[in-house]
Amino acid sequence: MKRKGILVVGLLLLGLGLSQVGPFRARLEAAVRDGGTEFARVMLAQDKAQALCTQYRDKLPADLIPTFLAEQRALIQYPEGGKLMGDWRKGQEIFTDPRRGNCYACHSGDPDEVAYGTIGPDLRGYGASRGQGEAVQRYVYEVVYNAWAYFPCSLMYRGGVQGHFTPEEAAHIVAFLLDPESPVNRRSK
Amino acid sequence: MKRIYHLLGLSLVALGALFAYTQGQKPLDPFEEAMRQRQMYLETFGVLPGELYVEEGKELFYRKGPSGKTLEACDFGKGPGVLEGAYAQLPKYFPDSKRVEDLETRIYTCMQTVQGYKPQEIKRDEVRAITAYVASFSSKARMQVVPKHPAELAMYNLGRELWYWRAGNRDMNCASCHDRYAGRRVRLSPLRSPSQGLGSEWPAYRFEADKLYTMQDRIAFCYESIGIPKPAYYSESYIALTVYILAEATKAGHSFEELPFFTR
Repeated sequence: MKRKGILVVGLLLLGLGLSQVGPFRARLEAAVRDGGTEFARVMLAQDKAQALCTQYRDKLPADLIPTFLAEQRALIQYPEGGKLMGDWRKGQEIFTDPRRGNCYACHSGDPDEVAYGTIGPDLRGYGASRGQGEAVQRYVYEVVYNAWAYFPCSLMYRGGVQGHFTPEEAAHIVAFLLDPESPVNRRSK
Repeated sequence: MKRIYHLLGLSLVALGALFAYTQGQKPLDPFEEAMRQRQMYLETFGVLPGELYVEEGKELFYRKGPSGKTLEACDFGKGPGVLEGAYAQLPKYFPDSKRVEDLETRIYTCMQTVQGYKPQEIKRDEVRAITAYVASFSSKARMQVVPKHPAELAMYNLGRELWYWRAGNRDMNCASCHDRYAGRRVRLSPLRSPSQGLGSEWPAYRFEADKLYTMQDRIAFCYESIGIPKPAYYSESYIALTVYILAEATKAGHSFEELPFFTR
């Protein structure tokens, strides 16, 4: 009886201790709040994955990676009917629009586009060299929808998870990269 | 008056740049492009836009506030009225305000405590111009941001945490671009890490925006482009990030550019 009581009190104290914000965290939150409500609202609304990436400086320890990947994979939604390759023309619009995909910030795509970033892989001729097989479609779809399901804490943001495009629109982006008629593939080599 | 004259000319320059851009077969090198634009300005007007901001800032610096004082009575870290090299060692801790301040925040503070302005009377554009004026005394100066005071060390640590803080619907932070992909390009903009001298060009005139950007303006622009609303000016996030960035650049031995710089 007595032992149980001690255990309960001990657990309560432990819980209380763990729920307290450390002094550094409290100071950081104060600094962020100093920037105003809009800034603080977004900065302090980190999800679990963002918080882990921050904590480990974008390099997750190996033992955390399997769970991280599984949790990110579970966030991927697929188009109704399961068609992973849509209309490349619609995909091109989303890929290009700075407020949607904004993919040219980091990647090349259409060889005619000169204002492209060099951070991510060069995507010119992506489909021409890889084909349109089911495994390729699935891989591209999943990376486009949630890159963190493959590359934990990578710079590439989770476009589908964060609502920048719907599953159907993600399939359009897949088509822009894989469809032989897409400008990405038409002019390669 | 000078401003209108320079705005008129700017539309011509901008048209030319757009033409050059659309005709270009390969991506333009942003640094070369900025230097070409700078040269065009010098040849067309005989003066750089940054110099006009400096002139405006000088007038505001010597304008008497409600207290009757000018900003000569403000201590920018090397004693009241000493401007030579002052910018190169900011942000730092100021015992009078009991906080770590960057140049912009220091100007904002002194306009209130020394000159007697109310916060709502202080125009952001005036602070920008005064920043350009004071920073011009640290043109090409070696950076000297070395956190020593406990408050400066605390700001450095906060800045480092913010540097890695992933947030917003683009899942980003500063490090995942600036550290990991230093030397590569976002669209056409080159990325630099703090140890490569990030921050050395501000305040600068950005010809693409036709505006003077201070360090805070540039950080605000970064936040907005990664889907995070910009913090209120003069707030701690700017100061913390600036301490972190410039302390790292100082460790690597960097100097400021010609200030105000001319950039895209």
